[in-house]
Amino acid sequence: YNFTDCDFEKIRKKYQEVIYQALEKYMNGIKSTEFNNPIYCEDPPDCLTKIERITFYPTHGCTSLAKEIFAVGTNAALTLQCPGYSGMQINNTQAKKKRKKREVTTNKCRKQVAYLIELWRRFSRIS
Amino acid sequence: GDWALEGALQLQIINFNFEVVQVTWNASKFSGTNLTFLYKLSSDKTSSQCSNYIFQQSHTAGCLLEAKKDEILCFSIKNETHLLLTKCQWISAYLKPSSPKDLNFQWHQEAITVTCSDLPYKRLLYEIQYKSMFDTEWQSKEGETCNVTTDGLDAEKCYFFRARVKTMESSYGPDTYPSDWSEVTHQQRGELRDSCQERKLFPKFILIS
Amino acid sequence: GESGYAQNGEFEDAELDDYSFSCYSQLEVDGTQHLLTCAFDDPDVNSTNLEFEICGALLNVKCLTFDKLQEMYFIKTKKFLLIGDSEIHVKLGGKNITSKKLNIVEIVKPEAPFDIRVIYRKGANDFLVTFNTSHSQKKYVKELMHEVAYRQEKNENDWMHVNLSSTKLTLLQRKLQPDAMYEIKVRSIPNANYFQGFWSEWSPTFHFRTPEITGRMDP
Repeated sequence: YNFTDCDFEKIRKKYQEVIYQALEKYMNGIKSTEFNNPIYCEDPPDCLTKIERITFYPTHGCTSLAKEIFAVGTNAALTLQCPGYSGMQINNTQAKKKRKKREVTTNKCRKQVAYLIELWRRFSRIS
Repeated sequence: GDWALEGALQLQIINFNFEVVQVTWNASKFSGTNLTFLYKLSSDKTSSQCSNYIFQQSHTAGCLLEAKKDEILCFSIKNETHLLLTKCQWISAYLKPSSPKDLNFQWHQEAITVTCSDLPYKRLLYEIQYKSMFDTEWQSKEGETCNVTTDGLDAEKCYFFRARVKTMESSYGPDTYPSDWSEVTHQQRGELRDSCQERKLFPKFILIS
Repeated sequence: GESGYAQNGEFEDAELDDYSFSCYSQLEVDGTQHLLTCAFDDPDVNSTNLEFEICGALLNVKCLTFDKLQEMYFIKTKKFLLIGDSEIHVKLGGKNITSKKLNIVEIVKPEAPFDIRVIYRKGANDFLVTFNTSHSQKKYVKELMHEVAYRQEKNENDWMHVNLSSTKLTLLQRKLQPDAMYEIKVRSIPNANYFQGFWSEWSPTFHFRTPEITGRMDP
């Protein structure tokens, strides 16, 4: 999906007012700058492309971000503000099982979320 | 890992208004050797060694490098034999905006609008602080542009004003620095004053109810 | 015909009573829990067996059912996504009677401000009004506009109003009647362009008396 036609201003507000809080809650006090090598993004569409990839596509060692609150919020924001974006089918009912059964937040996942935080910050600075 | 070394080096990064980035370290734990600073901005093609070291007791203690835009800085610090630290971060994470200049004041009845020129980048908070001679603390008002109106003032009283710029944490992170305060200016009856006489008042506060 | 339902549970078409309703949300009203409250606009609606349900823009669930306390329907939950619209359904025996689309972040009613005080500052010839709000500690609805209203007690409808975004205000002595009893109160409304909504309830009223003599202020 090409994010060029999204309403970046509205996405930014949803990030600043809602998604940001969920990302901070996920990191639980750990700063994103404690992780090296942030991912660069050039412009708003590029940032959203990389945000979508990290949020919804599993990586080695971190397979479950799509069910997190910030991911459900990201999916809702992109679906609302990007024409033709059909959104990720997050099986909402079994999302975020009880903490015991859910995969413990791995450091690999925190690193992915640190990348997300930096990408969202960059997105909000330039849109 | 890097985190521990970063602590040992007492590393500090300050991005002065996206014009100059200052990286400083304390090499005293490394028997006073001359540490070398290599860096590459995301818009640079190749890495380069620092061309503008900061010295302390004749040893390298930091580097000043020119910043051009909001981008990622990668750098490494070495002694003669070992690579001590490598780090990559957005330079915006350590931004210190320049302080507001040429403040302009416009009175209208019991309100005053303070304006100045906006900095060329976004997601900043322009903070205006004011107090009258009878107030013990500054009162703050913020705006996302440098056009902040404060009302409920008494035109007869003399007021102190100052301004600074802060960053929005959701856009820059928690490690930035507020700008320095602007000079304090004094206003009374809609006009600029040289000063407001500081009155050593024994505050006669009477809580009425 | 008579609205109601037949003995064997078949539902006659409920006479088209006016089932219009209104809702407001209060975010982080109890720690991280939010509160959504709805009520029928017509207080005379017979709400027995009527249920409220919200669907959409929820975390991990498709729908949530309201609890009921007298004529108020309410949900206390952390599951509001705060992005996107929801649908509120009014149901009678599981059958949808009426629905309405709403967005939780656009119907926010802040908690009332509290602890309003007035301090007379003799040297400054003014009154320092301060009050408090629980919203300064919240994550979501942090930015509020406040409305302070004050009047002389004996003047029934002569309220004076001041809008401000901070929680401190000065009233100039020269603008008030000397040796008079005043009452003052304050309320709040969301002031950010993401969270919108309604005025809170008024704070409790504070009463104060102005001094007799209005001395000139030393420059």
